[in-house]
Amino acid sequence: MKDAMVKKVRLDRTRVGKAVPLAGFAFLSMLPGCVQVSAPDKPIEINLNINIRQEVVVRLTEDVRELRQKEPGVF
Amino acid sequence: MKLTTKLILTAAIGLAAAAGGAGYTHAMVQDTSAELRATGQVGEQSNGYLGIVGSASADIRARVNAVNIRRRAAYTELAGKRGVQIEEVAATMACELLATSVLPGQYYKLADGQWRQRQGNAAVARPAYCV
Repeated sequence: MKDAMVKKVRLDRTRVGKAVPLAGFAFLSMLPGCVQVSAPDKPIEINLNINIRQEVVVRLTEDVRELRQKEPGVF
Repeated sequence: MKLTTKLILTAAIGLAAAAGGAGYTHAMVQDTSAELRATGQVGEQSNGYLGIVGSASADIRARVNAVNIRRRAAYTELAGKRGVQIEEVAATMACELLATSVLPGQYYKLADGQWRQRQGNAAVARPAYCV
């Protein structure tokens, strides 16, 4: 019986023992929480090359004030 | 240790690491525009975005970009909702921000591209289309 148990341990270490860290690594790299996304270095702003009409500003002002209240840190 | 035990342990550690990592990301404090304006290196622009005054570290630039990305997303959403151009929403927001958010000593930039510093409680110049 002791020989059978020793044999089993040796089998684990040689074949499967190497697969365990591999499987673990494969599992870890699949986890979505580890993905890093970096923001682009170029500024994101767009140059104002269109004519802003005051009537549009008037129309949007209320919405814009609401947006500011909704997301105060962004603005 | 048994093979199945090893696998379960690896999975558990992996899950905890991912959860901890995700948790840390969510817990990271996002800059507010007010904080960035207060650094003296960042100012409001008449196009509705934050701009860098002079030169700034890559860190400040990254933080400004992060805020501007959020702004553009908000402008895009509102523009779609109202059937107007993104730039029109952005310019309207700039009118509001220039009127209220540029504190004394902080910087702002109009269409002429020149950085101006608000002197004490002097009025902040705004584009003619602002209401």
